[in-house]
Amino acid sequence: MNARVKPRNILVDGLAQIGEAGLFLPTLLAAVPRSLRYFRETVRQIWFVGAMSLIIIMTSGLFVGMVLALQLYHVLAIFGGTASTGTVVALAVYRELGPVVTALLFAGRAGTSITAEIGLMRATDQLSAMEMMAVDPVAYVATPRFLAGVVAMPLLCCVFSAMAILGGHLVGVTWLGIDNGTFWSNMTSNVHVWKDVIDGVVWKSLAFGAVVSLISVHQGYTTPPTSEGVAYATTRTVVASSIAILALDFVLTAFMM
Amino acid sequence: MVPCAAVHVAMLADPPLVGYRCSPMSETLSRTDPMPADDALVRVRGLTTRLGDRVVFDGLDLEIPRGKVTAIMGPSGTGKTTLLKHITGQMQADAGEVLVDGRDVARLSREGLFTLRERIGYLFQNSALLTDFDVYENVAFPLRQHTRLPEELIRNIVLTKLQAVGLRGAARLMPSELSGGMARRVALARAIVFDPMLILYDEPFVGLDPIALNQVLKLISTLNQTLGITSVLVAHELAAIQRVADRVILIANGKVVASGDPQHIAQDGSPWTRQFFGGEADGPVPFHYPADDYAVDLGLKEPA
Repeated sequence: MNARVKPRNILVDGLAQIGEAGLFLPTLLAAVPRSLRYFRETVRQIWFVGAMSLIIIMTSGLFVGMVLALQLYHVLAIFGGTASTGTVVALAVYRELGPVVTALLFAGRAGTSITAEIGLMRATDQLSAMEMMAVDPVAYVATPRFLAGVVAMPLLCCVFSAMAILGGHLVGVTWLGIDNGTFWSNMTSNVHVWKDVIDGVVWKSLAFGAVVSLISVHQGYTTPPTSEGVAYATTRTVVASSIAILALDFVLTAFMM
Repeated sequence: MVPCAAVHVAMLADPPLVGYRCSPMSETLSRTDPMPADDALVRVRGLTTRLGDRVVFDGLDLEIPRGKVTAIMGPSGTGKTTLLKHITGQMQADAGEVLVDGRDVARLSREGLFTLRERIGYLFQNSALLTDFDVYENVAFPLRQHTRLPEELIRNIVLTKLQAVGLRGAARLMPSELSGGMARRVALARAIVFDPMLILYDEPFVGLDPIALNQVLKLISTLNQTLGITSVLVAHELAAIQRVADRVILIANGKVVASGDPQHIAQDGSPWTRQFFGGEADGPVPFHYPADDYAVDLGLKEPA
């Protein structure tokens, strides 16, 4: 009797998932015109994945900025460059930490909830019921959540970055005594709007938002209709999103340099 | 154009208000494709379906007559729900055709399929209510998606459907606050909101107490007699089916093995009906799932 469990090939499974998600993207995009009928649903999802994520994003941003300023201040002090603390904090946040950490937090907070919600709708036949009511579940459920993620991510990244700068200011100026004028003037003269802020906060965030939302929606939409299937799908959302964010960050940074 | 539901809305009232006439929900369908003069609303010809290595249907032929309640019965795993999926175009067959109201479901475009589905009600085994919406919004959902009716008319239609299933007072409850029987009745109200030509019931009696079961039976019977809706029931409960169905089709081994009057099909005398309706553990449907040689599995004999 063959009672062996079929071994899973992680590499093949992973590549298959990437391929399936890639094929799912045109389906999502093709449903955008139809999903405009459900504009209120898209707005509701932006509120859900965006506004409801604000607390974790703001708190994380504040502490990231604070710890960054603290570390940098002591390193820069070796070279007598503590006046550049604000500049380096801002560059690190705008270029890398802002979009990357926001995306990682977004995947954990909003991505998993999107996957779990759609997965449970699949498991309880709600998506099939929509099909049977002649309502396209891709246009009504999947695409609004995808669009919401793409729209919400740059906004969340802006908030994260602002809070990180504020955290850097609190530690650098209020606690460690860097001159307030020096902190801001160095920052404004060395941080470029297009090269640093737009490339990082806008373009990277848009790309990360699209990738995380695609993974989240795809995992939920294709999850096996069981409680175990939903659990695995939410886990895969976090793992796949994290890897995709970090890998894509390297690629985008290489192109932007 | 006002959908069928808007003028049929009063017909489920107790007592029903007769004399209403309406056009079908889908104007396109009714204009371009006149209803064929055919007694069978659903016609399945040579349906062959494989799921992996397993043959679910092997040239299945059957007909569902208009305006009647037809019960599809058969052993578990024989493909009854799969048949409903073929009828609604949720699943493609390997061969054969499924005609619903004269149209080959497999050949319909996605839009055509959705247009057809607007005329089909489907009652899921687990009700499949939208958990974010309350009872009222669940029933109103198809109306909001497919019509631009004023809110007042939507309200009237929804409350009439809920009144028909006895749950007007539960309009503002959430699905999580409903019992299994209540959820089934809400799903039924939603399924009939457009006064469909066909309702498919997937295991409607599972998990219901005797009171709820009688309520669902009464509703199926009332819908059929009052609105003339063709009904297809997938169920195992012969006693319940005998009270409501006009005809029973027994499926096993991928084919129709018996069909006829529910009062007499059990006395058909074939090995299939004898085992199924007699509840015999072994027979044409074997007790043992196909397996390798028992002695080989136990290591008492070398494999050949």
